[in-house]
Amino acid sequence: MTSDESWIARAKHRGPRTLADGSAFMLAVNVAAFAAFAIALPDFRSPANLATVLVSSLPLLLLATGQTFVLVSAGIDLSSPALVGLVSVCGGLVMSADVGWLANHPAAVPVGLLAMLATGTAAGAANGFCVARLQMPPFMVTLTTAMFAGGLAVWLVHAVAQTETLFNLPEVFLALGRHGWVDGPLAVGAAFVAHVILARSLVGRWLHALGYNARAAYLSGVPTSRVIVCAYALSGLFAALAAVLLTARLETASPSHGRPLLLDVIGAAVIGGTSLAGGRGSVLWTAWGVLFLAMLGNGLTLLNLSDFVITIIKGLVILTAALLDQWRRHWRTTSASVADTVIA
Amino acid sequence: MTRDPSPIVLRLLNLTPVLLLGVVLLLFGLQSNRFLSGEHLSGLLAQAAPLLVVATGMTFVLLTGGVDLSVGAVMFVGAALAGRLALDGHSLAFCAAVMLGVGLAGGLVNALLVTRLRLVAFVATLATLYIGRGLGRWISETRALNLPDDFNALASTTWLHVPVPVWIAGTITVAAQAVLSGTPFGRRLYAVGADREAARKAGFDTGRLLAAVYVICGGCAGLGGVLALAQLGAVSPRFGELYEFDAITAAVLGGTSLFGGRGRVLPGTVVGAVLLKTIFSGLVMAHANPYAYALITSAIIFVAVLLDSLRHRVLRGLARRVIRLEPAGQRDA
Amino acid sequence: MSTDLPRSPSPAAPSAPDARGPAVPAVSWESVSRSFSGVPVLRRVTLQAYAGRVLALVGENGAGKSTLMNILGGHVPAESGALRLGGLPYAPRTPHDARAAGIAFVHQELNLFANLTVAENLHLHDFPRRAGLPWIDRAAMRARAAALLGQVGLHLAPDTPLDRLSTGERQLVEIARALGTAARVLILDEPTTSLSTRERERLFTLLATLRDRGLALVYISHDLEDVLRLADDVAVLRDGEVVAHGRAADFTGHRLVSLMIGRQVTQLYPARRDPPERASADRPDELGVPRLEVRGVSEPGIVRDITFTLHRGELLGLFGLMGAGRSELARILFGVYSAASGAIRMDGRPLAGGPRARVRRGMAFVTDDRRHDGLCLDASVTDNIMLATLAACCRTPARLVHAERVRATVRRIREAVRLSRAAEERQAVRTLSGGNQQKVVLARWLLAKPQVLILDEPTRGVDVGARAEIYRLVRDLADSGAGILVISSEIEELIGLCDRILVMRQGELSGELARDAFDRARLLAAALPATAAAATGAHS
Repeated sequence: MTSDESWIARAKHRGPRTLADGSAFMLAVNVAAFAAFAIALPDFRSPANLATVLVSSLPLLLLATGQTFVLVSAGIDLSSPALVGLVSVCGGLVMSADVGWLANHPAAVPVGLLAMLATGTAAGAANGFCVARLQMPPFMVTLTTAMFAGGLAVWLVHAVAQTETLFNLPEVFLALGRHGWVDGPLAVGAAFVAHVILARSLVGRWLHALGYNARAAYLSGVPTSRVIVCAYALSGLFAALAAVLLTARLETASPSHGRPLLLDVIGAAVIGGTSLAGGRGSVLWTAWGVLFLAMLGNGLTLLNLSDFVITIIKGLVILTAALLDQWRRHWRTTSASVADTVIA
Repeated sequence: MTRDPSPIVLRLLNLTPVLLLGVVLLLFGLQSNRFLSGEHLSGLLAQAAPLLVVATGMTFVLLTGGVDLSVGAVMFVGAALAGRLALDGHSLAFCAAVMLGVGLAGGLVNALLVTRLRLVAFVATLATLYIGRGLGRWISETRALNLPDDFNALASTTWLHVPVPVWIAGTITVAAQAVLSGTPFGRRLYAVGADREAARKAGFDTGRLLAAVYVICGGCAGLGGVLALAQLGAVSPRFGELYEFDAITAAVLGGTSLFGGRGRVLPGTVVGAVLLKTIFSGLVMAHANPYAYALITSAIIFVAVLLDSLRHRVLRGLARRVIRLEPAGQRDA
Repeated sequence: MSTDLPRSPSPAAPSAPDARGPAVPAVSWESVSRSFSGVPVLRRVTLQAYAGRVLALVGENGAGKSTLMNILGGHVPAESGALRLGGLPYAPRTPHDARAAGIAFVHQELNLFANLTVAENLHLHDFPRRAGLPWIDRAAMRARAAALLGQVGLHLAPDTPLDRLSTGERQLVEIARALGTAARVLILDEPTTSLSTRERERLFTLLATLRDRGLALVYISHDLEDVLRLADDVAVLRDGEVVAHGRAADFTGHRLVSLMIGRQVTQLYPARRDPPERASADRPDELGVPRLEVRGVSEPGIVRDITFTLHRGELLGLFGLMGAGRSELARILFGVYSAASGAIRMDGRPLAGGPRARVRRGMAFVTDDRRHDGLCLDASVTDNIMLATLAACCRTPARLVHAERVRATVRRIREAVRLSRAAEERQAVRTLSGGNQQKVVLARWLLAKPQVLILDEPTRGVDVGARAEIYRLVRDLADSGAGILVISSEIEELIGLCDRILVMRQGELSGELARDAFDRARLLAAALPATAAAATGAHS
């Protein structure tokens, strides 16, 4: 074949593919949503409101980032929102001035933070162990973990403090959640590192391969079990980071932190274009999905739409995203097979 | 082949749900004499009735390798609508019919999304879950609706000493199992769940079959909603929340595989649902620390799922043994 | 060698059978074409099958036999051309349409459901019902199932779960299922690969009865002796074209082989180096340490007492019928399945651990099913090529992938395997042709510089051009000192490529042929089930 033909072939299947590759598309969607709200709603474009949109979306960003690792591995983590509650309680049990183990101790904050991150990571790694080594279905494993973690958090907080929530956390810790100056860069930085890990690192590429076809990856010498455990542990770690943020911001440690976020976490990943079937996904796409959901929620609230209408619209958005994804993929395979026809 | 204990292990693993229920009943029975009394057991079944019905529908979907996350939301929409209608003075029967209708309609929407638009069941039903919860709150205007007493009466009425909800749930589960094991539709469900591509090659309409499954699941959710509503007597904004997870758990506890192709309603899912309710009721009766319920329940579920994955692995190991190592000439004898 | 034969099919086509009435064929393909991912698989095929006759279809893998039948069976539409059924136009869109039109299909890969009973598998498309009720009439179903099973000589309770059956028994169930439909045309694609001789004889008697009842039979097989015994008419396909079509009596086994392989046979396989002295076992010191030593490997129900040696630079073939345990043995060697007993040594040291450990020791494995466990179909060409060796392209501390190094590596290896130039590195491998997909798999393993390479059906679904490339790559790798085990069910491929051939039968090694003793008949004899071999011996 001549180079002319191959050029045509490439042009033919590159056209739709730039659109199909998540980032550009999601950027366009976000810009469009921003423009629409900004034009329609003066309140929306006020700097204070925009800051609120960004800051309030941080916990969701962290949770959805962790979830992306697991989704790319063709699993699902239903437990991360429940882990937020457990981790929050753990932190409170170490740091709270009322009942804390290290109440008013200078080491309370570092130890507390460590305990929180360790709890989240360990719980995530336990999920990963069950999925990878015991070969249990991720859906049931993480559902059970969610139940257990939620129950454990409530039990702990009642056993120690006889209340639902723990107050009087150290001032240094609370400063983490003030005004978004600390937690903002922290969360965005963590998400950025996650993006690099998933997109550019060895483990990240292995995760993609494993998500596309676990058997092929295993037979090619990819340490599949370790990589899966790693994905779930990262999801747990990011749940812990979200817990730090929420606990500091709300100035209380409570088992109910994070619980309402489950559907939004999966929704944000799906809207971003991460596939539930595994393999395809990116933290960047997920971040776009989170931003979109945050703008949508904020804008619709400012439009005085009630909470239930917003829920319905979110559902429709997920549906639309899934449909678009379906069409994009259809496009891509048909256009690529045009290229292949030229090959022959 | 002496080192091959698989068939016995497999048989035991297949019996896990029943054995687990037996153990739990025995343990709680030792704790309290009242636990195994007929009255308490029939109360237990009545409590389990809504879950039994919803989980039965879920079993159909799981058998095909799909999932329906929207059942709780569908229950909520139906209940909210029925609540409004009941407060406007409509009869119980009419309200129940509306709930059933809402369930079937919700199932139809899921069916269209999954079969016509070819969406992954998980995403499609996640979206309808959102939409359903929004609709339900809109209809109920985000407040609790207290229903007239005849709803409650439905739950407490007995016939032949057995509560009416138990009769309803019993009928549904028996009928469901009869459909699964006795009709072409039921048997083909198993085929589709085991291997969708081979099922298509076998030459029956897999699309219509899948659609029917989601409609059945929606219908069961509607009916389960009626029973749950009768039990509670009120529609709160959180009615039916996370019910999908309970239903999936019940089915999986009963031995239904999340990968499709394996599972039964009777005894399977029924045992699973009753087991869930037994644990709860037993803990209440034993005056256990209420905050420990979730811990104990999840631990038991974990064990059941672990045993199921073990069974799965044993089965896979057996499937690998494909070679007939028969003594030469046996076939010619 | 086949130049004397017309390339166009019609002149050699048989006229209607003299004694059997009108000349309307039961099925006719009229100038049917089809391509997959741009690779033509069928080129204007014209062919007829008549009622009351057996048409045998022979050809190498990838010659288009299965596609031709899949078009008839409604699994794949034709791109151009037409089908006629009993003289009437016929265009099935689904398998269901084909079944309704009276076409029954016994697939090579079994379309049965392990979670159902034998009787249910036989009746999935038309369960007998109680009059007017939706319920299955179990008694009627059992009776019908028993009758069908009896026809194929399988004496099983109809309620036996299918997962209790061996592969051979399942194959008979698949045949019984096709018999259960009121078919006018019966297609059998390699129906005997797992059958014992007794079962095979019974099947042939049955097929003869069906033919005499007026069915049109299409029989696809690699076993040319079977073909010549059973068929009334024979059609030979090569590269998607009918190269010969005529009465079975006009063909001999030898002629069929040369027709199937055609002119390319000499160009297809790379030249061998001097005959390897190493094959002689009485001078072990000259061989050096063998690449792979397998001693007494057994696993109940899978393989029994496998012992062989793979030398440096040797291309060792492993022949056997489907279900003989060849792929399972490969998986044991690669650490995917465990073995109950026996020892495997590589380069003199024992092998242990799973695939990861073996890859690190320099072992590589190209599976027989590249779509399911060879490739990540939706991932890019680059990702697939780099799957086994990505760690080598990482900056060490953070283990970040060095994009430029990856690009250079991929560019180099794709030149080496001659991957199609139009295949972009970002493109999903799903969209490549079978040959290019297999080259991607090979490229992945060549990058790992393997010392031992196991190839399981390396050219299944690969076009002739890519085949030659693959053979060349494999030969080059062997010449560089690697030991290569090639598993194949194509005798010609093994004879053309290998230095030595082992034969497996029912989980055991049943024969070994050195290169100067390569012989089609002996390979087949060693591969047929033990009872079969005994029976054949008694006959002759």
